[in-house]
Amino acid sequence: MTTPRERILASIRGGLARACLPAGADYPTARRPASSPPAPTPDLVERFVAALTALSGHAHRATGASGVADVIAGIARAHRALSFISWDDHEIGCPGLLEALSSRGLARVTYDVGGDPGPRVREAEALAGVVLGVTGAFAALADTGGLVLVSGPGRGRLVSLLPPVHVAVVDERRLRPSLAALLAEEAGLLDAGSNVVIIAGPSRTADIEMTLTLGMHGPTDVHVILTT
Amino acid sequence: MTESALAFHRRIDTALADARLRQALAMTTGRLAGGRAAAFDALPDPVACREEARHARAAAVARLDFYLDQFARAAAARGCTIHWAETAADAREIISGIARERGIRLAVKSKSMATEEVGLNEALEHAGVRVVETDLGEFVVQLGGDRPSHIITPIIHRSRQDVAALFQEQLGATPAEVEDIPAMTALARRVLRAEFLQAGMGISGVNLAVAETGSLCIVTNEGNGRLTTTLPRVHVALLGLERLVPTAADLAAVLAVLARSATGQASSVYTNVITGPRRRSGASGDPPCGEPDGPDELHVVILDNGRSRTLGTPLAEILYCVRCGACLNACPVYRHIGGHAYGGVYPGPVGSVVMPGLHGLEDWSELAQASSLCGACRDVCPVKIDLPHLLLAVRREAAERRLSPLWVRALMPLYAAVATRPRVYRWAGRAAARLAHAVQRGGWISRLPGPLGAWTASRDFPAPSARSFVEEHRERKAASA
Repeated sequence: MTTPRERILASIRGGLARACLPAGADYPTARRPASSPPAPTPDLVERFVAALTALSGHAHRATGASGVADVIAGIARAHRALSFISWDDHEIGCPGLLEALSSRGLARVTYDVGGDPGPRVREAEALAGVVLGVTGAFAALADTGGLVLVSGPGRGRLVSLLPPVHVAVVDERRLRPSLAALLAEEAGLLDAGSNVVIIAGPSRTADIEMTLTLGMHGPTDVHVILTT
Repeated sequence: MTESALAFHRRIDTALADARLRQALAMTTGRLAGGRAAAFDALPDPVACREEARHARAAAVARLDFYLDQFARAAAARGCTIHWAETAADAREIISGIARERGIRLAVKSKSMATEEVGLNEALEHAGVRVVETDLGEFVVQLGGDRPSHIITPIIHRSRQDVAALFQEQLGATPAEVEDIPAMTALARRVLRAEFLQAGMGISGVNLAVAETGSLCIVTNEGNGRLTTTLPRVHVALLGLERLVPTAADLAAVLAVLARSATGQASSVYTNVITGPRRRSGASGDPPCGEPDGPDELHVVILDNGRSRTLGTPLAEILYCVRCGACLNACPVYRHIGGHAYGGVYPGPVGSVVMPGLHGLEDWSELAQASSLCGACRDVCPVKIDLPHLLLAVRREAAERRLSPLWVRALMPLYAAVATRPRVYRWAGRAAARLAHAVQRGGWISRLPGPLGAWTASRDFPAPSARSFVEEHRERKAASA
């Protein structure tokens, strides 16, 4: 009695024994990241901002928790947001930010969407009206304008997904030229959380008559605050 | 002609007669192809990028048994439940069973060609689960009881007026809610967000799986791929068993060309990498320290359904495919007849190889005849699959198994006899050139005899030169001497 797993693997082996793959296709080794990361390039900030702006994202510069909080309060005013969901303070990487937002009249909503189906749905629905989500980022990519977010305790996935406005606070020193360059440094990145997501600008669709429309399912507005 | 070939020809006739479809196809494929070209031109070394992506996929396929096993073990170690489906029926039964056992009534789906391939929606509905497609295009397809006509942009055959009428009919939308495309998009967002929040199960396909880490990569622009894999308590991912890359670096190599080929973007908006279900306990082992969201269960269903058999045939190289759709947009045949005419789940040049590969030549070999072998598909393929070669392999096999049309089987030996005798060939070439010249009007022939008449039924045939190549060549040599 064989299992489906054994039968499928046996069928693959049988196929590979007969396979007429093109010459030179028998690559015996997988690719490894280059051992030494590429040298940092000076114009990373400019390239990142240009790429993000081209995707209809917004870039800001700010210094310190108070400076960052001012920028976020301005965004909140523009969208009439009174509350927000966010990563934990130390996970955003801008110490004192949540307190600074609280003192500007913005209330943080905390959540844990999990467990039994009933409470789970109610918890998720309670978040549906929140307009603003504030996260940090593990890194940002200059070639695509992408933000790399790793899920974990205090780093919820929904913060960058459910609210129509997403603000990410990113230390300029976390800019990298490309995903390949980032992986060359951080070999274990993919497994660092149950979810690693690269976000390149606002949610979009062009399914109807190829007409670009922002905010299909995810945020309509993506703001990146670069800190020094 | 076989029954399946006749049906194919009827579908082609229907498509060619649809003027609006042809206009929509020209616009969409033209823009997608142009976007792709611009995106590759922006790369410092586009050739090297495609070579690296091919390397990543070829490495995985060349040792597919090893990498698939490695993937399954790594994913299980991260808390995934692994299921193995030999056939479409197995996949339907496994996923219906997961839903049944958990009493799930509502499932949300992000776009997946593999679930189309196994006919999952019908099976789930039969099991009492309401299934909601959440990709905007697929949502429209579902509301209209329709089928996708393109791998990437499923409703290129639908106008904005079609969608507006459908939303009014099926969703009770007001005229204001369908007055323009942004309004319709906002309506779909509202309707689908409510479904996301209620659903007990999220179903996705998988763009690429990383063997080393047991990770699933799902790319979307809309964000439905993230919602589907984050909000519902149970996530089920249907993975075609060939869609592997060995390492994270290989994933980066393929991602560098995937969105460029599909839509002309440097990167999709959301590149979502999932490694196991939500991690409930933090470093201290205390549950409240765990991740605050994500599915509690993650089931990966590994689908064969003819893929391992394809591996043992001359069509094996098609298993490198990453389903970007670039070959559809480049193909002069697809650009005229669109996806529905092909009759299967996968249309275009890739579909003409995948469909006979997965489901056998008997019903599907005719698709490979719908190609001029111009090579445009090969030129744009991000993993450099030699599609014309594979299309020829389908034709060769079909001819050997006597599945090709009678007149082709009868005339080919005659052509071979002429083409292998230089004197006869030259004489025949001269005769054909004279004859063609005699019947042409203004450089075009508007009616060809016999089965060749199929060509001139919907377009003119360019008249060949009155002189053969050899005559022309001799004359030029004499002139330059």
